[in-house]
Amino acid sequence: MPDLAELVTQLLNGVVLGLLYAIIALGFMLILGTMEVINFSHGVLFALGGYSALALGPYVGWWGALLLAPVIVGGVGVLLELGVRRTYGRDPLFGLLFTFGAALALEEVIRIIWGPRGYTVSAPAFVAGPFHWGFLFYSKYRVLVVLLAVVLLGLVWAFLERTPYGAMIKAGAHDHEMVRALGINLTRLRAVVFALGAALAGVAGVIAAPMWSLKPTIGAEAVMPAFIVVVIGGIGSFPGAVIGGLLLGLTSGLSNLIVPRGSILVMYALMTVILLWRPRGLRGQKSMLEL
Amino acid sequence: MLAMFGVFLGLPAILPWIGGYTYLGTEVMIWAIFALGYNLLLGYTGLPAFGHGAFFGIGGYFLAVSQKWWTGGLWLPLLIGILGTAACGAVVALLVARKRGIYFALLTIAFGVMFSFLVFVLGTWTGGEDGLTGLQRPSAAGVDLRGNLAFYYFVYAFFVVSTIVLWRIVRSPFGQVIGAIKQSETRARAVGYDTARYKWAVFTLSCAFAGLAGGLYALARFGAFPEPMSLQQSGNVVLMCLIGGGFASFYGPVLGVAVFLVLRDFFSTMTDHWMLLYGLLFMAIILFMPEGILGLVKRLRQPAAFHDTREAEAARTGHEP
Repeated sequence: MPDLAELVTQLLNGVVLGLLYAIIALGFMLILGTMEVINFSHGVLFALGGYSALALGPYVGWWGALLLAPVIVGGVGVLLELGVRRTYGRDPLFGLLFTFGAALALEEVIRIIWGPRGYTVSAPAFVAGPFHWGFLFYSKYRVLVVLLAVVLLGLVWAFLERTPYGAMIKAGAHDHEMVRALGINLTRLRAVVFALGAALAGVAGVIAAPMWSLKPTIGAEAVMPAFIVVVIGGIGSFPGAVIGGLLLGLTSGLSNLIVPRGSILVMYALMTVILLWRPRGLRGQKSMLEL
Repeated sequence: MLAMFGVFLGLPAILPWIGGYTYLGTEVMIWAIFALGYNLLLGYTGLPAFGHGAFFGIGGYFLAVSQKWWTGGLWLPLLIGILGTAACGAVVALLVARKRGIYFALLTIAFGVMFSFLVFVLGTWTGGEDGLTGLQRPSAAGVDLRGNLAFYYFVYAFFVVSTIVLWRIVRSPFGQVIGAIKQSETRARAVGYDTARYKWAVFTLSCAFAGLAGGLYALARFGAFPEPMSLQQSGNVVLMCLIGGGFASFYGPVLGVAVFLVLRDFFSTMTDHWMLLYGLLFMAIILFMPEGILGLVKRLRQPAAFHDTREAEAARTGHEP
């Protein structure tokens, strides 16, 4: 039986993981909701964020990378959007395939530039080392991650809910014909959304970099949880993404205690269970996407 | 169709002349079975299923497991491969038949990846990452299948039968209904068809063919391995259908498979970073030639007759039908 310290550690790990998943899934969902594009390259954008931290770190420090990487990755996102444009309004498979191809190509670019070996990115100096509280030793950095993630999620929420631009994004996701009819520049909106989604993935990459080893394949590993979170939480729901992310992270962390190798499968089991119970996801709304 | 059968009949003789080898031809036919069945789902019903590579892999594993641990032999494992995969497909289809568009794609991806993880978790039976090796190719009706040429014609038989069966399906009333679903599911429902049930049936059927192909593939490689189940391989079969023109023609997938496998052989000898070229090719096809080779040919020959109905509908109304 795992002892209390282990349990709490895994729970905290679950929260950290869950918040990261939520951020990644949120970016993914913005693109999904507004453009109905399954952005397969989302994982690679996450990886790019991490590698940007690696590359920029020596020059501007980790905090500098935290601010710059989303800009860079967001830029890549804008470029991707230019290509995806041609697939709007057609079979959703086209957008998916385009981003799939982009994911493969970008991953290979990463491999060409940085090679296939793993890198470690070090956390900023003032949060290195463990955080001691009673019987609990926890990584200070991860505590910082939680704080950063909460702030970031709050900012995104405020943007979507409280700014006119956020309202346009939500409207565009719901009814893009009407949005155009109202005179809103849909093209620019879409570019912004893609950039924002990519930037979120990039930020998550920077944040995650010190925690995990940086390899070209982390992109492919990061994209599936995003899918699962969106399915669990429901397409188009901000709270759904956060709840879904936390749920996924927590189950993953807890299952690490019990069934170390099967934690990924547990994710899918969770997804299946939730789908059976709530076919639209926990907080999904009925949409054109189902009968 | 007869022409195509003729070509494949004589292929082993021609291939060495053009720099190929018999096994390549076998691979083409196996993937063609997979792709033709998959195109039923993609090109004819318009369902964006991704992650179908998982079913291809499952077919191989069902065959391998049943041959190794259960019954041995040739025909029974093959049958188990087909039926087992179809059963898995039926279960997944139950969960996804009521969805469409993006949501459908999302779910099929998730389930596809789930199955590939399942293979790893059940490692003791499936051999995990290394795959399940040591398969045999028992004789079929007295013919030793271990040689490449004999096996080629063994697969050829299945190829012919599968093609004919799929052709009949597509030309049947069932085929008409799924075509209607592709054009406009709402309208099909309005006319009274239970589209979910048809979608379920198409999905299951395509999985049956995937299972057949996967089983044959396992026989070809003397083992069942997890990498056909990867997302990348699932992407492969979609690309195959697309390049050849799955949306426009019945034979598109076959051409696409041939083109793809030849290119794959070519690219991988050229450079270590072939995945970059592969990704770029993907993007280029989507951007510039989504109707595939045969679609392009059709468009050039009969501009008036060709139209991608979904695109026309989208252009007219501004969004999906």
